[in-house]
Amino acid sequence: MRVLLSLAVVAVLAAGIVTVLRDVPFGGNSSRLGSHFVENGREDTGAANIVTSVVLGYRGFDTLGEVTVLFVAAVGLGALLVAGEKNAPRKLEKASMVLTTGSRFLFPLILLFGAYIFIHGHLTPGGGFQGGAIIASGYLLVYLGSRDRRLGKNWAASIETGGGLTFVLLGLAGLTAAGHWFLSNFLPLGVPGQLLSAGIIPIIYVAIGLKVGVELTGVIDSLMGGTE
Amino acid sequence: MSVEEREGAAAGPVDDEGAAGTGGFRSALYMFVLLFLTWILLTFSLDWQELAAGAVVSLVITLFFEGSYRAIGLPTLSPRRLWYMLVYVVVLGWAIIKANLDVAIRILNPKLPIRPGIVVIRTGLTSSMAKLVLANSITLTPGTFTLDVIGDRLLIHWIDVRAEGLEEATGIISGTFERYLKEIFE
Repeated sequence: MRVLLSLAVVAVLAAGIVTVLRDVPFGGNSSRLGSHFVENGREDTGAANIVTSVVLGYRGFDTLGEVTVLFVAAVGLGALLVAGEKNAPRKLEKASMVLTTGSRFLFPLILLFGAYIFIHGHLTPGGGFQGGAIIASGYLLVYLGSRDRRLGKNWAASIETGGGLTFVLLGLAGLTAAGHWFLSNFLPLGVPGQLLSAGIIPIIYVAIGLKVGVELTGVIDSLMGGTE
Repeated sequence: MSVEEREGAAAGPVDDEGAAGTGGFRSALYMFVLLFLTWILLTFSLDWQELAAGAVVSLVITLFFEGSYRAIGLPTLSPRRLWYMLVYVVVLGWAIIKANLDVAIRILNPKLPIRPGIVVIRTGLTSSMAKLVLANSITLTPGTFTLDVIGDRLLIHWIDVRAEGLEEATGIISGTFERYLKEIFE
């Protein structure tokens, strides 16, 4: 009986999928949006990286939503872990000298690489989220290695707020200055491929990069268990 | 951060050598130059916009995190030491090639002539950075593997324990590396 029921459910699902997908051509363009982005992205947004021209140019509003989701997730995790935390400090074993020295030596270089990724988000693969993740990985290495360098709570809060505010204020400025729409690119687009190009996109990516870096570091910090 | 953690960090092996000439300004300059050169390698461009962005990023990171480089014992640079660094890269490369062949022959030999075990060796290097490079060089050479560094002793896993004595093992495993690292770091 159960087998028959399962078979029936699978048959219904299969029929549904076949009906929906029968008319969609395999591998072809199912909409003209993709080719439009590929052909006009560079001119429209000034970003040499087409993915960025979509993420921060055509669909910047969605990205603002994503940043908000990440923020809420980080805050929620922090609240849950702090609420459940017992007050007894954990006894930590000292890391090996190799790990301690290596993490201290590499930490600034990892930060530089993260900054490089988000500053060049409009030119090369990568962007604010990837750069921020790299910065957080640098902090993770330091936490594992020497446990003596924690991101100050005040710094974290100001960077996080500043990043979010920059994004929103630039969007509002586009609304008023150019008289167009929220997050319209009102700064000069410049020559695609140069560092100073694509108008507001690099500024937003720097803001997102710092914000995401701080947020993910905060997540790691909460998971490590110690709060200040 | 709890008090225990703070004390643990201060008593860590990194701070053993104290203020051995590693002042704040020197470590800051070190970090800035290293970061800026890395930036130029990453961007691979001498465009003024890239250089300016790199200078700003390097400066900001240096201002905030200069402390990381204070006590790890980076070598004072001189043309002679830079030359020895280049030589060391060649020496290490050659040692890695030789050890690769040695381990490959052992594996392909049907008799499998291995005698794995753990030995302790001694190092005369004092700075943390020098010990780090030595430990990693030993790990990079197939057949030997640094398990831990405690004080001036290194714990090595060896695929073919040819000598169990401290001095003998030290000579075979790290003798060559140590000679060059002394020139670079001490």
